Amino acid sequence: MLKIIVQKELSVYFRNLNNIFLPLIFFFLIISIFPLVLGPEKKLFDKIIPGIIWITTILTTILTSNNFFKDDFNNGIIEIYLTSDSSIELILFLKIISSWFFTCLPIIVFIPLVSVLFNISFDSALVILATLIIGTPVLISIGIFGSALTMGLSKNNILIPVIVVPFYIPVLIFSASAIEAVSIGLSYEMQIYILLALLLLTLPIMPYLLKYTLRLSINN
Amino acid sequence: MEISVNSASCYKNDNLIFRDINLTLKNSDIALISGSNGSGKTTLIKSICGIQALESGNVSINDVDIENKNSTYIENIIYVGHKNSLNNDLTVYENLEYLSALDLSINSNNKLKIEEAMNYFNIYKYKDYPVKNLSEGNKKKTSLARLVMTKKKIWVLDEPLSFLDDKSTDIFINLMIKNQKNKGITILSSHIDLSKNIENIKHLRM
Repeated sequence: MLKIIVQKELSVYFRNLNNIFLPLIFFFLIISIFPLVLGPEKKLFDKIIPGIIWITTILTTILTSNNFFKDDFNNGIIEIYLTSDSSIELILFLKIISSWFFTCLPIIVFIPLVSVLFNISFDSALVILATLIIGTPVLISIGIFGSALTMGLSKNNILIPVIVVPFYIPVLIFSASAIEAVSIGLSYEMQIYILLALLLLTLPIMPYLLKYTLRLSINN
Repeated sequence: MEISVNSASCYKNDNLIFRDINLTLKNSDIALISGSNGSGKTTLIKSICGIQALESGNVSINDVDIENKNSTYIENIIYVGHKNSLNNDLTVYENLEYLSALDLSINSNNKLKIEEAMNYFNIYKYKDYPVKNLSEGNKKKTSLARLVMTKKKIWVLDEPLSFLDDKSTDIFINLMIKNQKNKGITILSSHIDLSKNIENIKHLRM
């Protein structure tokens, strides 16, 4: 059963390659807007570029998880999930993981390139990478939760960010503080551990929360 | 096995959808729910599946409320909705494979079973077509093909006959009669009067 579910998730993504490439292109477009608007002052950029990377990542995850359940809801697959006797939590978990794999991982892979482009120091780049690897699964699963909550509503494009962004704040605070710490030469392990704790708290409970939310919002 | 709907009422946004519906079905029963548009057929079907909450009354199986999620209920109910429950990007075969993975009563090594289901509804030739390229009738047949594969006994079907041509309707009626012989329970909503085709059909007008 597991093999079939994973196989189908992968083939849905690979048959819509724009689902993989568009978030990446979007990420690079937004990143490249900042130098155009703020001017090429190097000192300013050294200070704000980690924040820019994080903000762009947030925009990308919000946009990709926005209509996460829309197709499944319109096709009636959610109803099949809710009346099925197999483990729906497992399927939802795999959906979160594959969504992360195809929308956030490409961004993370290209972070070294972004670091070279913006002349970020090696240590800072390493910490940005670490916070993104740990933080983005949390962001994606919260975004998917927002999408489950508003699944049955028709005009929900702005509603999801409004619901979801406040829940992003803990991840943002600790990522920013880790990046800040490394840039002034302090230890950043504590922040990374807290991010890890957030990840390990969110990921296991999210499938159960999603199943419950889907059941509530199916009749909206 | 006995499934019963006891004085069920349902409201949506303070509008009454239906009131005081009673229905009791035993093994080998087929119930046809009919009624005009907006009379609450789909809502009743959804509440039998536990997707829609009732305002008052309950649905019970073997005298246990379905809200208690007893295993007889969860292991036996299969719902084929008004929507096709198919993924448009996957082929007919892949969709059936996915749907059978969601159904624990089907063995996981089920290639033959899926092919049998496709042959039953004459959609084998569309095996490798993406579902988005199929006609509405063939999509409906693909989603009904789940019923050929499953061993579940309580079939809850919302408008299964829409988009089907005469020949496919006969094929589908035979499938329901087969479930009747296996002591299964079928609940379906339709505008078509099936009392000529099926003996002992229970009729619920809403």
